[in-house]
Amino acid sequence: MAATALLLGLILVLGCFSEICVAMISFSSLQTTLVVTASHPQRLLRAGEDKITVRWGLNQSLPAGTDSAYKTIKVQLCYAPISQVDRAWRKTEDHLSKDKTCQFKIVKRPYTTGNQTLEWTIERDVPTATYFVRAYALDANDHEVAYGQNTDAKKTTNLFEIQAISGRHVSLDIASVCFSVFSIASLMGFFFVEKRKGRKAQQ
Amino acid sequence: MEISSAITETEPQKFALPVDSEHKATEFHLFSAAAPHMLAFHLSWISFFSCFVSTFAAPPLLPIIRDNLNLTATDIGNAGVASVSGAVFARIAMGTACDLFGPRLASASLILLTAPAVYFTSIASSPISFLLVRFFTGFSLATFVSAQFWMSSMFSGPVVGTANGVAAGWGNLGGGATQLIMPLVFSLIRDIGAVKFTAWRIAFFIPALFQTLSAFAILIFGQDLPDGNYQRLQNSGNKQKNKFSRVFYHGITNYRGWILALTYGYCFGVELTVDNIIAEYFYDRFNLKLHTAGIIAASFGLANLVSRPAGGVLSDMMAKRFGMRGRLWALWAVQTLGGVFCIILGQVGSLTASIVVMIVFSVFVQAACGLTFGVVPFVSRRSLGVISGMTGGGGNVGAVLTQLIFFKGSKYSKETGITLMGIMIVCCTLPILLIYFPQWGGMFCGPSSEKIATEEDYYLSEWSSKEQGKGLHQASLKFADNSRSERGRRVHSQTLPSNATPSANV
Repeated sequence: MAATALLLGLILVLGCFSEICVAMISFSSLQTTLVVTASHPQRLLRAGEDKITVRWGLNQSLPAGTDSAYKTIKVQLCYAPISQVDRAWRKTEDHLSKDKTCQFKIVKRPYTTGNQTLEWTIERDVPTATYFVRAYALDANDHEVAYGQNTDAKKTTNLFEIQAISGRHVSLDIASVCFSVFSIASLMGFFFVEKRKGRKAQQ
Repeated sequence: MEISSAITETEPQKFALPVDSEHKATEFHLFSAAAPHMLAFHLSWISFFSCFVSTFAAPPLLPIIRDNLNLTATDIGNAGVASVSGAVFARIAMGTACDLFGPRLASASLILLTAPAVYFTSIASSPISFLLVRFFTGFSLATFVSAQFWMSSMFSGPVVGTANGVAAGWGNLGGGATQLIMPLVFSLIRDIGAVKFTAWRIAFFIPALFQTLSAFAILIFGQDLPDGNYQRLQNSGNKQKNKFSRVFYHGITNYRGWILALTYGYCFGVELTVDNIIAEYFYDRFNLKLHTAGIIAASFGLANLVSRPAGGVLSDMMAKRFGMRGRLWALWAVQTLGGVFCIILGQVGSLTASIVVMIVFSVFVQAACGLTFGVVPFVSRRSLGVISGMTGGGGNVGAVLTQLIFFKGSKYSKETGITLMGIMIVCCTLPILLIYFPQWGGMFCGPSSEKIATEEDYYLSEWSSKEQGKGLHQASLKFADNSRSERGRRVHSQTLPSNATPSANV
């Protein structure tokens, strides 16, 4: 009894520790040192078809050496506040390990000084929502140390909407309808056969 | 003298299992598929399993579906309530349909009529269409009633609790199995090359096809009663056609049906609610991966493999020793304990303790479901279907109520909701104390001693003297005789009133 309690206790403690071991970097501690812009056709963008051109680079007005720790750049597609309403699975949290704002990776590249550009075709599994683009600068341990985004701090400007693919195909539609009709028709068929058998038995 | 011998009947059929005078099996052999009894058992649990798989096929894939259809948390909650509310009235209607048309046609018809809803889930394109398909798919949960009715028609008193418990338990298993099956099917299809938003749509064809095929199996291999199907028996005069209004009336005027409907809402209804919320609860409270939360959620439903049948077996064991009073005591005790563990589940704060308490809670709550259907077959013989339907419908009402009161919106945190649900379980289980059978007694009172109350008096009270004059009550009479085992050990010590009453002295 005591041994089982001890074992359970150990498992609990280990569980707690594993939580702590994940680095608790908070978003509010990051500095906005990158400048990010995203250009795209001025209309509703379609997933799988349209392209977004993303440019990022260090803010030139900052003192030299600000980017000494930057080893990698991770550019992500992030949900705008309007698309987070009533959707807890897209919630913004200050602790980056729990933050669910940015769920789609556009690109991850080694950091170089100077501006970088990328033309990115919106992937087909991006859902219908309003987005902005954010870039994180990561250090050698893959921890975020700075960021930049194409919108303001309140995430209200330069947002763009993406329309997802529906995932439907004509063949699927036809198959659904056919199978449904088949189910009902076979039920009618069974009834008909039963009635006929019943009438025959009575004769 | 029995009327049935006056009508031309085939010579006494040989059954694979020992049977009573109604040809209901008195033994339950799980690993046999002998027609008609065990075959009916396997057909009924498999088809009910497929309906559960279809009804709860959406929750494990919600992370994909909610992005494809642009759902909000409110949309998801509403669809969850819709999925269990359709069956409330469907179960009552199904009960009546079983009484009138027999469980084989009733269940196969419902399954084939709801299969289109599952096929159409593949082409859902908005929150509203998603809600509609979940609503109509949920109607298929009414097959529960036909499964119970069928088992109560095929198996005799001493084993009816076990048969009902295993059939329903293994059917409910579908709710847990689907949390494992659907993600697997989805990843298989996605790995073959389909895009996420198409793969989940294709995945829904699996439960839909399974459902369709199980209905075909019922129609081809099943039969309503040990002696044959309703229609054939009615045509040959071996079974009298029952009048809907009378069947319905005797069902809804039996107060025991209403009490069991309420209490079933707080074992089965709670089980359905937990099926809908538990994955999210573990995911949010303990920050688990969705995959892990899904496995824990599945284990809640998978406990049905043994816990609900155990409830049925316990009911039959208590009946052997203590009769119906034993069944009632066991039901009240197990369900109340389930409520206590529910309260504890909302209070514990660590992951391991939560999992352990959840599993204990699931065992008690599911066993209570099995125990309920150890009592239901005896509440009425003429209106067995209506009583089963009311109880089953009550289960779904409980699910709708608990989700609306405790788990909609942000009024209560999920853990508070769970604790409050536990308190409600304990309170709503108390009415079992009020159930009383004149011939067997209740939890606190023995059988009526003012007159010698017999099983015949109780079951024949559902037939008017005119109907008895026509001999319509024969099946009830046989049932009354067979139900004498509900007296417990006292059966052999009492001199029974003469069984010669069935003579049709008009």
